[in-house]
Amino acid sequence: MSKQYRHIGQPYDRKDAQEKVTGQAMYVHDMELPGMLHAKCLHSPHAHAEIVSIDTSAAEALPGVKAVVTGKDAPYRVGLYMVDKNLIASDRVRYQGEIVAAVAAEDEVTAERAVSLIKVEYKPLPIIHDVDEALEGKILVHENLHTYEYMEGVFFPQKGTNIASWNRTLKGDVKKGFEEADFIIENELSVPAVAHVPMETHVTIAQADPYSKKVKIWSSAQSPFAVRQLLAKSLGIDKSDVHVIVPYIGGGFGGKAGIHLEPFVTVLSRAANGRPVKLKATREEEFNLLPTRAGMRSRFKTGVKKDGTITAMEIYHDWDSGAYADYGVNVGKTAVYSGAGPYIVPNVELHSRTIYTNKVFSTAYRGFGHLETHWAVERHMDYIAQQLNIDPYELRMKNLLRAGATTISGELIYESTGNPIDCLNAVVKEIGWTGRKTDEERALEMKTGKVRGKGFAMLQKAPAMPSYTSTAAIMQMNEDGHVKVMIGAVDMGQGANTIMAQIAAEELGLPIESVEVVWDVDTNKHPYDWNTVASKYTFMGGNAVKKAAKNMIQQMKEVAAQVLRCHPDELTHGDGYIYHVHHTARRIPFKKLAMGYMYENGNGIGGPVIAHGVYMASGLTNPDPQTGQGRPGLVWTFGAHAVDLEVDIYTGEVHVLKIASAFDIGQVINKKLVDGQVLGGVIQGLGSAMIEGYKFSPDAKLLNPSFTDNKIPTAKDLPDEIVPIYIENPQNDGPYGARGIGEHPMISVPSAIGNALYDALGINFYKLPLSPENISLAIKNHKKA
Amino acid sequence: MCDRHNKEGDCFEYVESGMPRVPMSCKINGEIVHKMVDPTMTLLQFLHKDMSLFGTKEGCGEGECGACTIKMNGRAVNSCLVLAAEAQGSEIITVEGLSKNGELSVLQKEFIKHDALQCGFCTPGMLMSARALLDKNNDPDLEEVKEAIAGNFCRCTGYFPIIDAILATAKKEREGSDHE
Amino acid sequence: MLSKFNYLKPKSLDEALAYIKENPGTKLLAGGTDLMIVLRRNMEIVDHVLDIKDIPETKRFEYKAGEGLFIGASVTVNEISECDVVAEKYAAVKEAADSLASYQLRNRATLVGNLCNASPGADLASPLLVFDAVVHIAGPNGIREVALENFFTGVKRTVLVPGEIVIGVMLPDVKAGDTSVFLKQARIKGHDLGIAGVSIRRTGEGKLCVGMTAVAPTPIRLRNLEESLQSKPFSAETAEWLNEEIKHHIKPISDIRSSAEYRLHVSGVLAQKGLMQLIAMGGK
Repeated sequence: MSKQYRHIGQPYDRKDAQEKVTGQAMYVHDMELPGMLHAKCLHSPHAHAEIVSIDTSAAEALPGVKAVVTGKDAPYRVGLYMVDKNLIASDRVRYQGEIVAAVAAEDEVTAERAVSLIKVEYKPLPIIHDVDEALEGKILVHENLHTYEYMEGVFFPQKGTNIASWNRTLKGDVKKGFEEADFIIENELSVPAVAHVPMETHVTIAQADPYSKKVKIWSSAQSPFAVRQLLAKSLGIDKSDVHVIVPYIGGGFGGKAGIHLEPFVTVLSRAANGRPVKLKATREEEFNLLPTRAGMRSRFKTGVKKDGTITAMEIYHDWDSGAYADYGVNVGKTAVYSGAGPYIVPNVELHSRTIYTNKVFSTAYRGFGHLETHWAVERHMDYIAQQLNIDPYELRMKNLLRAGATTISGELIYESTGNPIDCLNAVVKEIGWTGRKTDEERALEMKTGKVRGKGFAMLQKAPAMPSYTSTAAIMQMNEDGHVKVMIGAVDMGQGANTIMAQIAAEELGLPIESVEVVWDVDTNKHPYDWNTVASKYTFMGGNAVKKAAKNMIQQMKEVAAQVLRCHPDELTHGDGYIYHVHHTARRIPFKKLAMGYMYENGNGIGGPVIAHGVYMASGLTNPDPQTGQGRPGLVWTFGAHAVDLEVDIYTGEVHVLKIASAFDIGQVINKKLVDGQVLGGVIQGLGSAMIEGYKFSPDAKLLNPSFTDNKIPTAKDLPDEIVPIYIENPQNDGPYGARGIGEHPMISVPSAIGNALYDALGINFYKLPLSPENISLAIKNHKKA
Repeated sequence: MCDRHNKEGDCFEYVESGMPRVPMSCKINGEIVHKMVDPTMTLLQFLHKDMSLFGTKEGCGEGECGACTIKMNGRAVNSCLVLAAEAQGSEIITVEGLSKNGELSVLQKEFIKHDALQCGFCTPGMLMSARALLDKNNDPDLEEVKEAIAGNFCRCTGYFPIIDAILATAKKEREGSDHE
Repeated sequence: MLSKFNYLKPKSLDEALAYIKENPGTKLLAGGTDLMIVLRRNMEIVDHVLDIKDIPETKRFEYKAGEGLFIGASVTVNEISECDVVAEKYAAVKEAADSLASYQLRNRATLVGNLCNASPGADLASPLLVFDAVVHIAGPNGIREVALENFFTGVKRTVLVPGEIVIGVMLPDVKAGDTSVFLKQARIKGHDLGIAGVSIRRTGEGKLCVGMTAVAPTPIRLRNLEESLQSKPFSAETAEWLNEEIKHHIKPISDIRSSAEYRLHVSGVLAQKGLMQLIAMGGK
């Protein structure tokens, strides 16, 4: 596949590796600016309360304190899709952990001390604990929901309720579909909220110019341009007055997409007469203040024929978005076109409701709702197979999407969309699937105290983004013929900068060492990119970089044509030269064209070679408000995981022997980097599957706001082996046929493990995490029954 | 300034705002340093504020994540849980001390080769845990490597490339190519 | 950290005792792995911190045949784990040491610190209980010895009174053929606090001793259970019986780490497994 390419397919070292292994790489966590102040926050101890009074006088009097800010100083709301969040709680707090006041002081200790001197009087209000209480609607988290600004026609807040958005898919006729079915099978499944846990917590430095409206921001953020846009909007200033810089960031995983601390820290800087203010979230704040992945509860009702063909599906996805739902509503909406799995479903009614409760709020998270919906649908599919006594492999083969079929939102699948069947076949082969265990086999194994099980699950995802999302790239050539590429996306470790360098080097025919992508994304200097999310950057940015490279070559050809006295179409390029296609000796090196060309007599023509390329996601539409039909997904990546595991039936501990993960990514651009996404994503998926989950007290306070009780996988929690498999059915409109993969490895890892546990134990699990406790007690109780 | 007057009135009375600083001398990356430290300061804060060595990172401040791992007197420790004052007389190595004379160490080169890093934030701590392991045990098995880095959280890589890099380094160092 | 404290590292026990008498509320610092969290989370405001690591009595780590093993208050968990004598004679102590937190923390955390913190789940407590450890406490009136079994008085509470410093712990010597195991169940395979911890020791004379953590307000020695075990054969059937029987001797609670039901269940599982391991190691 990649034999004809020089750079595409090469497993180059990532470009930023040296800086990171020497400790030179600078993160906002490390940054210090002259005159910088440090900020600390006061958090609400109540999940739902009125703020009766705040006394900041003692804090203000403390030497070294330069600003104290409360809700009355920041009467702004912020939001990308649903503008429902105050920068600081003003009249009321809606979750335990919400910021109620903040201090900027000369050092962290003084700021901390000042915060401890702020006195707040609260009047507790009744609390909404979960989606069912929220749906009853007796207590409202947002009484003024109907007054909030939001993206109309895309989201559907329900006035007088706790539903921030009710999105629907309607295709065919479900009533008729259920009538045609031989069996109707129902399941209810759920997942808890989990934290992103980037190793670098959120941190922002804001410097608000006291003489104008200009604001300069340094932030550990995935999307400098989104920060610019949303900060400007929330504070009522021009986007051009906002300058955002992002150096290295220590992980994002969706938690640093959109906007978080930036507007709030700007208010602090303004209150401190424009001095730069740095707010570094503590790990507790990372868990308890900053948003999570939403908890979610799904109800599936599927009609199938005896042979396993799906006739109809009725689905309710209820998202527990916590106190605010800005990004949450978009996660909810995404379920409209992918919340039934990669299957052909002729009749479907899907409801995706993003719901408010009084808990830490939700935001984007790797997988963007797909890990949650696929926990449900892939466990549900396995359950259907059990009920019909069909091999779960056969059931899936019957119903998987393929060329010529349409998705639940009416999108047509082509050969070049990718092939989920290839993925499923690859993984079942890798784990040696020969069909389910019989009860007798299982009983025999149980006597040994350890039982093996195998299971698999499908996955799919397309980016969830505005239908008119675009990106751009700029390239400049240095005097020595080396090229600098400027992009607007942030490389947070996923490797964007290295991939773009490879693509540029491929197009320009230069050695990889001659191409650098410039770090420090700076909204004043770099071209626009919407948000570094959605596994779309290789696809979109790659296309933009290709175009910029072609533009660069074309500019050089036009100058070279004058010098060589021929038509530009007679020229080609390679090895750092522009040369004539036939008289190859007639050539000019790039470096003689980089700053324009100088003739022997001193005349100069042309000028500095600066190229650009843009990519617009074409042909996308918003889902129809009533039916969810449309074409919202730019590029689909299908995949599958298969798991081989062993359960200790006494302690409930699971030892995963192998996870095989296949993805149809069209073209591997750098195997080392792609492997990194797969290994990292599978382990993060394992965390969701077996370890992670927020726990709340009866009064909705977070019980595990630290690593003591909110664990993530360590090096001792690994499977014996992860086998990444890359299927390469090319995506015709992707760069070199490539599709995205950043999020996909995480999706469906829990479902595959859940399915393997059924094979091992004959027990169905409907909730995460699949911890030793949950498994052990399920076995104990299953024995009794 | 004193606690009573911050903004109102001119108060020219000086009051020490922190605790009296105590002397602390130690060796960091081969260099002897002499500083006066705030007794409440942690060693991690000292590395950042007083030594401008930002390679060592703060991930949690509670000794759980390992991002702040350094070598102190030959042992891997979480610098966020050590008081700067406790470093008196110690020999400390941070990530900045791994490479010499512009040459990356074998360990660092293997990390790059195996792509044992993505965002890079856990990397300095991870390198120090690896270095501490290999200095005590030049032929660790898989379980020993996992135990040595189990206290270093990584959210990006899934750990496999890190383990590979450490095992490869052990092999190279045993075979005699340069040892740091 | 809101505390502003003075830091002192005295070179003698007398200097230390005098300082803490002068300055009540002084916190003792050994490994710091518990104290630093208390300070960071402002769980207490501290004015004086006394570093014990230069006090010679606390650095003592020696085995004397006939007497036993003395582990000073400054000895770290990794030093204990790496000690041959511990591995050979007090295996359960090594196993517990290896399970405590992470490698980096074990390079700092001390065994005595783990005991003085007196968490109900203190990993090192159950092996020390089955080895009849004795705590050596220095105070203004000299040194007193308290059996570890009497040391814990409640959740995070001990018999220590203000003005006292634990200088170390003595494990009595063991006879040939003494074997022991430690098992712990956690939520993950990486470092974690224990949901339940079990230590079982079979002395050279064949007596079984059982200690547990995280299933009571303090670490406990299950003496009544040991009595019932005396009359039973050293066999797999007894191990199976033990699985059920141990549940009658503990009253675990539900908390954020685990439900009482799972704690109870897994205590039985670990006890049975532990006894089976001892059987496999040999002995009469």
